[in-house]
Amino acid sequence: MPGTEVLIAAGVILAKVIIMAVILLLVPIPFTWIERKVAGHMQQRLGPMRVGWHGLLQPIADGIKLLTKEDLIPDQADKLVFKLAPIIALVPPFAVFVAVPFGEDVSLLGTEVTLYLSNMNVGLLFILAVAGLEVFGVIFGGWSSNSKYALLGSLRTCAQLISYEIPMGFSVIGVIMLAQSMNLVNIVNAQEPLWFIVYQPIGFFVFFVAGMAEAQRIPFDLGEAEGDLGAGYHTEYSGMRFSFYMISEYLVMLTISVLCVILFFGGWHGVLVPLPSVVWFGLKVGFFVYVFMWTRFTFPRYRYDQLMDIGWKVLLPLALLNILLTGVLVA
Amino acid sequence: MNIPSAMDRADNRQRWIGWALFADLIKGLSLTLKYMFSRSVTMQYPDKEKWVPYERFKGHHLLRSDENGETLCVGCELCAKICPCYCITVVAYEDEKGNRRPKVFDVDTARCLFCGLCEDACPVECIAMGSFFEYSTYSMQELVADRDQLMQMPGKIDDGGYIADAKMHTADGVRVTATKKQDESWWDNIHRNN
Repeated sequence: MPGTEVLIAAGVILAKVIIMAVILLLVPIPFTWIERKVAGHMQQRLGPMRVGWHGLLQPIADGIKLLTKEDLIPDQADKLVFKLAPIIALVPPFAVFVAVPFGEDVSLLGTEVTLYLSNMNVGLLFILAVAGLEVFGVIFGGWSSNSKYALLGSLRTCAQLISYEIPMGFSVIGVIMLAQSMNLVNIVNAQEPLWFIVYQPIGFFVFFVAGMAEAQRIPFDLGEAEGDLGAGYHTEYSGMRFSFYMISEYLVMLTISVLCVILFFGGWHGVLVPLPSVVWFGLKVGFFVYVFMWTRFTFPRYRYDQLMDIGWKVLLPLALLNILLTGVLVA
Repeated sequence: MNIPSAMDRADNRQRWIGWALFADLIKGLSLTLKYMFSRSVTMQYPDKEKWVPYERFKGHHLLRSDENGETLCVGCELCAKICPCYCITVVAYEDEKGNRRPKVFDVDTARCLFCGLCEDACPVECIAMGSFFEYSTYSMQELVADRDQLMQMPGKIDDGGYIADAKMHTADGVRVTATKKQDESWWDNIHRNN
């Protein structure tokens, strides 16, 4: 007969899972609005203004449009994989957030509630491993489309994603050395005296750039920009299936922002103003999301060979240099 | 062999330091940040603003009337003869008072190229091109304006060339009415990059 504590604990976890899933599904909606508004104002124009007050209902209009679009599946496409690929693209971003802590423990209704789903001792390794699963959505989408350009685009995107995972993994080794742990809560707590950005500027730079490439944001979005030009792994997708790919892109961007904050910018530790830890966390993540959008609307995109050069010939040596310097620093 | 001078070496050092610290990227980012917080150049037509055209603007034709409400047009057909598109049709008749007036005065605004020659040719300064331009219709037949419609068109505007606050009415047809002239200093204060 399970005791009441076990039941309460299970209920708390279930509630956290539901809240997390709902938030992660709803978060890309204001992100699209913010992105279009930021794009507009950076280009001295206004962005969406008509649909709601200052265009706030625009994402809903977009959602309705995508839902009512005709669901085209190419004739010779591999139907099962074609339908499965966007869903496969959507799963790893959700799975990553299982290991992410959002703030200090809060006390709700008398019990201490931790703000993470699972505090793994190898949380960082788990995140990097699950983030590597994002490649599958790309490959399955491009391969099953039965279209030459989709296939080639997906292979190029896949090569980009896997080659940038390596500097991303190496750049966090410095953080692990400084915090002596891969547990994300320990890493945040180790930053109480001083945020790791002070000790790891190169590491942060490598991680941020590799994260931008993982999220396929400009300047590294050749896979999708080719979609503008008629190629890329999600060419054959329309309507809601396409929107799944877009949601997964926003969620990966959110993941990278969250990781930047946790690993380099002190997680939920505030600066001067005393606010709840979750609020500080949200503000910092929002700042990084803004930086992602800021760079998107400032820079042109890299050519594919330049992109691969950066991944292998610039970021990887910098990450190794960072490990060397951190090792000297720690010893 | 090109031996760089001391000043060249100092410049090169500065360039390489800038390269290492991403000076060009930071310059681009600061520019977009400056644009982000400067006023947008969008004119929100037709929801909130409208550009009121200058007095010289050639919009929809109009027939002027005298103080009694009777048209000034004498049906001389000079405008019809000078029109390069043959879009004006005038048929004159004699009204009760013995004056020559137009029985039929049609302007096909679909054919019209808004050159203003009809306005120049008119000997009594009756036909003119006003500042009204929002007359989209659902059929080509509605674009032909007859005499009564032309007599009711709003007159020429006597001050123009500014952006005014506007309101859009969609009840019957789409009309945008300008209400208040906007302060012009914002145009001069837009961030420009030159």
